Amino acid sequence: MRRAALALLLLSAPVSTAAAPPAPQPFTVYAAADLTFAFKEIVPLFEKAAGARVTLVLGSTGTLAKQIENGAPADVFFAADSSFVDQLQGQGVVIPESRALYAQGRIVLATALTTGLDLRTLGDLARPEVRRIAIANPSHAPYGRAARQALESAGLWERLRPKLVYGENIRHTLQFIQTGAVEAGIVALSIANAPDIRYAPIDPALHQPLNQVAVVVKRSARPELGLAFLHFLNGPEGRPIMKRYGFLLPGEF
Amino acid sequence: MDLYPVWLSFQVATSATALTLLAGLPLAWLLARRRFPGHDLLAGAVVLPLVLPPTVLGYYLLLLIGSRGPVGRLLGTLGIELAFTWRAAVLAACVGSIALLVKAAEAGFESVDPRLEQAARTLGRSEWSVFWSVTLPLAWRSVFAGTTLAFCRALGDFGITLMVAGSIPGLTQTMPLAIYDHVQANQMHEANVLALIAVAAVTALLMGLGRLARLRF
Amino acid sequence: MLSLAVAKRLAGFALDVAWEAGEEVVALFGASGAGKTLTLQCLAGLVRPDAGRIVVNGRVLFDGTNGVNLPPQRRRLGYVFQGYALFPHLSVEENVAFGLSGRPREERRRRTAEVMERLGLTALASRRPRELSGGQAQRVALGRALAPDPELLLLDEPLSALDAPLRRQLRDELGSLVREWGKATVLVTHDLGEAFHLADRIVIYDEGRVAQAAPKSELLSRPASEQVARLLGVRNILRGAVIKATPEIIELRWRGHVLEAINSPARRYLPAADTPLAFFIRPEYVRLIRKDRPSPDPGHHMNRMEGRVVGEVDQGTNWMLHFRLDGPEPPAQGGHDLEIEVPKLVYEMLEIARDRRWTISMHRGSIQVLPSS
Repeated sequence: MRRAALALLLLSAPVSTAAAPPAPQPFTVYAAADLTFAFKEIVPLFEKAAGARVTLVLGSTGTLAKQIENGAPADVFFAADSSFVDQLQGQGVVIPESRALYAQGRIVLATALTTGLDLRTLGDLARPEVRRIAIANPSHAPYGRAARQALESAGLWERLRPKLVYGENIRHTLQFIQTGAVEAGIVALSIANAPDIRYAPIDPALHQPLNQVAVVVKRSARPELGLAFLHFLNGPEGRPIMKRYGFLLPGEF
Repeated sequence: MDLYPVWLSFQVATSATALTLLAGLPLAWLLARRRFPGHDLLAGAVVLPLVLPPTVLGYYLLLLIGSRGPVGRLLGTLGIELAFTWRAAVLAACVGSIALLVKAAEAGFESVDPRLEQAARTLGRSEWSVFWSVTLPLAWRSVFAGTTLAFCRALGDFGITLMVAGSIPGLTQTMPLAIYDHVQANQMHEANVLALIAVAAVTALLMGLGRLARLRF
Repeated sequence: MLSLAVAKRLAGFALDVAWEAGEEVVALFGASGAGKTLTLQCLAGLVRPDAGRIVVNGRVLFDGTNGVNLPPQRRRLGYVFQGYALFPHLSVEENVAFGLSGRPREERRRRTAEVMERLGLTALASRRPRELSGGQAQRVALGRALAPDPELLLLDEPLSALDAPLRRQLRDELGSLVREWGKATVLVTHDLGEAFHLADRIVIYDEGRVAQAAPKSELLSRPASEQVARLLGVRNILRGAVIKATPEIIELRWRGHVLEAINSPARRYLPAADTPLAFFIRPEYVRLIRKDRPSPDPGHHMNRMEGRVVGEVDQGTNWMLHFRLDGPEPPAQGGHDLEIEVPKLVYEMLEIARDRRWTISMHRGSIQVLPSS
């Protein structure tokens, strides 16, 4: 009995050495879910260009913001909208001067190819074959909020509400669509470009602009790298990739 | 592919289980053998993590141990980082799984004939000695079952870990978080490999533990 | 050596007892629920009395007024639980050695071996409790309690978990073990035979109170009250009325007869005339007067009465006759007035089966008066 306890104690000790990251601390980018595919391409390029190791942490904007507020080790934060950045600014956790509008997002109407449905307009969502519709949760996901605004502007919100299913973030929402759990959904253009997905654009005038704001976090040990990455995004290597994923870039909106 | 999450998860789960035993056994004994004002409140508090949504729980924990929280700031002055490190992952896993050990151990302790403990007292043993040489050995099956459950739960923790440790690749991205991340990025191959490793490892572990359990009378 | 006074109130029950004992075996005897085990638990420190004082060999174990309450660990008592409460996960040797943990290893080993040897347990040293017979378990329990050399040995219903034939045998074994070991012992039992066989002094418990505490020889011959007599299972408890009382003799009227009984020596009981009075005579002391002998000698046969045998109960080695006196009044004990115990040989010799009419006599010394409590 005692030996088992001792063994357990010894086994748990090594975590401290194994889990400690190699010095120096890598540069950490916190990015919203809709940047998943785009950033997974861009980050390696930046690593090579800047000669720095980058850790990419993806999640829903709201959760990431909360974590940064409570000391998460982010150097720079790429949000999917501006409200959460405003909050962080209000709490004095970020460098206000570094705040930059790095892209504007677009929402699309998406459906899995396997459904055989061809949906072109928001009104098509009212069709009886569309039993369930997935959007990101409007209360905390910027793209969900935009989806709601679009539906409201089109006068469809109350009617379609019973059919709605909320995803935690747009990646989650996309999963609902991909797995066939729902017949259709509204997601970010930047992640809708999957081989099994068919999508149609939604008029951006129907919702508040999805102004995606980035900001450097105050506690960052290397704020200059945050700014460098921001620059890179808009530079000759980053821009084409961002564009490919459907983002509108500064100068285009 | 990167198998660090597997390594990290097992280490975190082991540490978390050690912590769970350290805190959970006395708690279970207290609940089983002592009546005091607030007893039922304590029992409820222990089970609460099983009831609350993990991300909510994680959020409350984050408020406590984050850079703005009382515990976080205190530890900060001592130079100890807790939130967003592997330590937070251990804490998250422990919080999420301790109820499983406590409940099982509590039932085990209650089933021990109190007269055996009384006999031990009349023979001069201190309360600590009574627990260690009579109560615990006689309840070991329940404790063992509870510990196994707690370990598995610790291994699989997601929501709480995500909040207080974050899903930082190479640092705090445990196996469940890594699998989730792969799925979300549509990297099904990597996700499946990790999931398979998880299943194989846990099965092997449980088989080994089962054999160990049968050896001991 | 041991002086105990405890009061404890539980739901629906109140314990309030006080008694003393010397370097001897004392039995707490009474019906289930009378408070005997509770007293033992108070003695051992497993239960805290509401008030009282417990002193063993000059050491105060508990004192309600001074706030003294030694924990069980420090009382230096050996406790044998009902059902023995042996540690199932330890061997016999480990059980016996359990109370010796504070001592150096060599001494522990030596003492354990010594105790096991004395109790004939050496061959069983590595067995587990579940492999032991009732008698072996009892010896292990004793060994475990006695190994640390306690000042007092407490036995809680040591034989009640066993069935009859085993009980007899183990009772004898227990008796000799306890006596041989020479420890002051407190024993709880609801079996009178056990109490008498094992103890020197008996404390009679009745619903949380002490009805009588006395050396055993005194108890049967001089129960302090009718209630005690009933608790002792005394038979032929009868009710009469006082005619005259002197320090030596009490004359009483019963069933139309005048009886002479010796007065209770301890009490110098002097009730007034016409006071109701309880008394008893042991069934084996009621004598049938043989018809084949010449006239009975009054010095031998006193308190003569006539009647007939109305029934008998086979008790194995003797018969218990139910005897009804002549006379119009209803009998004192249901269908009969007296129970008379007669050895089977006598029953056959006197042909009682056939010859039902008899004159009986009771020596005045056999009639015990019971002062009202």
